[in-house]
Amino acid sequence: MAVFSIIMLISLMIFSVSISVIKSLLGSIIVFAVYSLVMAILWQQLNAPDLAITEASVGAGITTILFIFTLKRMRKHTPSKNDEE
Amino acid sequence: MNDLILKNIVKFITPCIQLFGIYIILYGHISPGGGFSGGTIIASSLILQHITFGRSSVHTIFRKDRALKLIGFSLILYSLMKGYSFLSSQFHFPHPPTGVPGSLLSGGFILPLNILIGIIVSCTIYIIFTLFANE
Repeated sequence: MAVFSIIMLISLMIFSVSISVIKSLLGSIIVFAVYSLVMAILWQQLNAPDLAITEASVGAGITTILFIFTLKRMRKHTPSKNDEE
Repeated sequence: MNDLILKNIVKFITPCIQLFGIYIILYGHISPGGGFSGGTIIASSLILQHITFGRSSVHTIFRKDRALKLIGFSLILYSLMKGYSFLSSQFHFPHPPTGVPGSLLSGGFILPLNILIGIIVSCTIYIIFTLFANE
């Protein structure tokens, strides 16, 4: 299990750098949701199942929905930016 | 959204999500979970129904003014119960019976406090979502 945890930790580092590097906003949101999901598995590995449930429901569920709806409203107000992405 | 597969799957999966959230709230004191996690799960099921069937399907069972009254009432009841639980342990006031450890009705004030937190969190997160999704 230690190897699995190390792989997930390295992938977390890659995700957290790529969230700020990726140009597409929707892709960045999706990577953030995957980051939360991997983080939830890691909380379970660290014997904190309570925190794992909260991370999975808030981080991967609610925050992603709110980000996507914010992105939708931003694109509605600035239609000229749509062509660049 | 007018997708047949999405509508049928959401119709099937929404009661399952709500049942899972209620289970997490009720068993918060003897297994992982609690009021906050269960409340967000129930709120996510409401958000799913709002996205799929439109706001009118949720607003038949959940109106904003009633939800705000429910949040206020739950907060008052929560603060009274929590304050009484602190005072009763300090000054040896009478407290509810603690049942058999491991059963559902054990732990005194923790079960009603978890239920109240679940009501507050689910209503609050759904209202925050409606602020974002307002057309």
